[in-house]
Amino acid sequence: MNQPDNSHAELLAQSVSAYVQHGADLPRVRALAQTQLEFDPKQWQELADLGWLGILAPESCGGLGLGLAEVAIVAEGLGRALTPEPYTPVAVLAAAILTPLAGATLPMAILNDLVAGLATPVLAAQEQADDFSAQLVATVATPQTGGIQLDGVKSFVVGAAGASGFLVTAHHEQEPLLCWVPGETQGCHVRLIPLADGRTAGEVRLDHALVSEAHILARGARVRELLDRALDYAQVITAAELLGVLKKTQEMSLEYMKTRIQFGKAIGSFQVLQHRAVDLLIQQELAAAVLAEVIQEMSHTPMSVESRAMAASRAKARCADAALMITRAAIQFHGAIGFTEDCDVGLYVKRAMTLAAYLGNSRAHRQRYARLAAVGHQEAA
Amino acid sequence: MSDWNALSDEAFRAQAREYFEREFPAEYKFLARRMRWAECRDWYQKLSRKGWIAPNWPIEHGGMGLSPTKLLIFYEEIEHAGVGRMPDQGLTMVGPTLIHFGNAAQRAEYLPKIIAGEAVWCQGYSEPNAGSDLASLHTEAVLDGDDFVINGSKIWTSMAHDATHIYVLARTDKQARKRQEGISFLLVDMKTPGITLRTIRNIAGHEEFCQVFFDNVRTPQSNLVGELNQGWTIAKGLLGFERLNIGSPRRPLQAMEKLEALATARGLMADPAFVERLTQLKLDLADHNSLYRRFVDQVRRGESLGPDVSMLKVWSMDTYQRLSELVLEAAGEYGVMTGDVDFDGTAIDVLAPFYNSRPGTIYGGSNEIQRNILAKYVLQLPS
Repeated sequence: MNQPDNSHAELLAQSVSAYVQHGADLPRVRALAQTQLEFDPKQWQELADLGWLGILAPESCGGLGLGLAEVAIVAEGLGRALTPEPYTPVAVLAAAILTPLAGATLPMAILNDLVAGLATPVLAAQEQADDFSAQLVATVATPQTGGIQLDGVKSFVVGAAGASGFLVTAHHEQEPLLCWVPGETQGCHVRLIPLADGRTAGEVRLDHALVSEAHILARGARVRELLDRALDYAQVITAAELLGVLKKTQEMSLEYMKTRIQFGKAIGSFQVLQHRAVDLLIQQELAAAVLAEVIQEMSHTPMSVESRAMAASRAKARCADAALMITRAAIQFHGAIGFTEDCDVGLYVKRAMTLAAYLGNSRAHRQRYARLAAVGHQEAA
Repeated sequence: MSDWNALSDEAFRAQAREYFEREFPAEYKFLARRMRWAECRDWYQKLSRKGWIAPNWPIEHGGMGLSPTKLLIFYEEIEHAGVGRMPDQGLTMVGPTLIHFGNAAQRAEYLPKIIAGEAVWCQGYSEPNAGSDLASLHTEAVLDGDDFVINGSKIWTSMAHDATHIYVLARTDKQARKRQEGISFLLVDMKTPGITLRTIRNIAGHEEFCQVFFDNVRTPQSNLVGELNQGWTIAKGLLGFERLNIGSPRRPLQAMEKLEALATARGLMADPAFVERLTQLKLDLADHNSLYRRFVDQVRRGESLGPDVSMLKVWSMDTYQRLSELVLEAAGEYGVMTGDVDFDGTAIDVLAPFYNSRPGTIYGGSNEIQRNILAKYVLQLPS
């Protein structure tokens, strides 16, 4: 649906479609449920070799320096393939935070490694449920001899299982800080909590975790700016991943409705099922249209922070709701077989759920949209 | 002729807002029913003189040739100012159809009259026994010398009592193998002898639709649009424009304007449960805009609309109804009071969107028929 105006888009679309075709990810997703191994270094290297980890990163760091439209093409494909690796948390969220900082030595080094597939930095900012913008920061930074000491607990850290380190928000007195905490730092403990789709969310506990002064990547108002922009990007790209999940699921349902015979006829000939499928088609097309428009706006139009956040919320809310509706209906269309572990439908249902919840579910995004719309309304009046 | 698309969106919006606020007659703002021709003729012609009567038509035919974004702004400002709905069949249906399917003589004859407000059109499609099953229509037209002679009747013909012209689907070959074959698309002057009509009162108490009777009504052969017996193709093309028109966010927007005014006046914006439902509908409308732009873009590029345009109509009218229902709910006890209700100085007819939205899921092909079309031609589900 996205029509970025360069040949990168076409090339990407081709390589994404080839990647999705070999469809090797479903058996891996099934195996995950048993093992918690959501991160396969070989698969990750393939994503790096394809150049997909560096789409947002500048060329000076080995990246492609492209935008949301291109990264959305990849995310939609990975959604289709149910790829379990934390593409959005690393190649979008972390990369979008690091890119504006890439003039400095450490962020540049991390970004270089990220693009090459050697580092998997993950944002650890959120501390409380529903605070997906990570506004409420209780984590404390205390200057010590030898650096800065971090104490606090970060929750809902998707991608923590394979993370090489964390981008941690904290504050020293009133000043916000963004710090790089390598995974092996003493006092950095990660507890993995299994999620519905076989992946995990990490709870990152920082207990007298000491990092050097040079690991402070940004401070002051800059931290908020970096986070807001990167979170909006990651929400939109998660919406793209949801679009891949929902489109693939709708295709599976339609295919089943055309081939499953009951009462001597394909069940897809029954009007009640046809009309349900059409209502889901409308959701699918709304989701695709919103996403395309939001990406277009965010890529080419100067936007205020508020209108960018509203756009991201619009995309995330619609794509999440559409994906939940379509995947749940797929169970019903498939009947009892749809409720079995052997049937692929369940994998899509569960991925839709975890992606829908990631970085704010639709309810949370509608709330943000309403809050920002009310502010805009008051200012206009 | 100005190139409105050259203006910035903001500048265009400001111009439109200022103009509609200033020029649209105050006594008709937020009218609960469709405007009668006698009430809106002056306004129509004023818009026409300004060059603003046909925002969706190409510039060479007297339209504004607006881009999808500008067209949406135009509609938003019309609804924001409470500009009433005029008899608009000529602008939304006949014009685009003649531009696509008509011949040069027909375009020259009819398009300028639509632009100038000299011709008011109505649609002769449904019949008493041919509603959703339109292809079963019985009205017939027989060639006699240079004229077609039409007999039969059409029903649910909106604003026929104000129309100067009607476009008619009539059977011209009873021996055709399929029902869809043997239908022709004819243009008829309403003053032709043999045409009579009766108005039909709707549940809101308004007389907006009619039954039109044809008793040996003659219309010249030159009023045949497209080929003889190929009317179904044109009818389907026109239905595409109709679905784009009904599928535009205009009508839901109208209800949203009322809902927000009502909610503010009644202090409901402090009720989180209400705000959640309002926000859901706001997003439904915002996302509708995104989808609508895609189809308008398609028309602007000169591509014809496919069966997928039906999804716009389904969503638009479903959203419209949900909005109108929340208006009633938000109004509480006032939600059953007829006419304008005063909410702290804001007069709102709360029942109007409810009544106006009810037929929306029936006319222009019921939403169930649209779903059948989408299932068959877009999802390609078996029958």
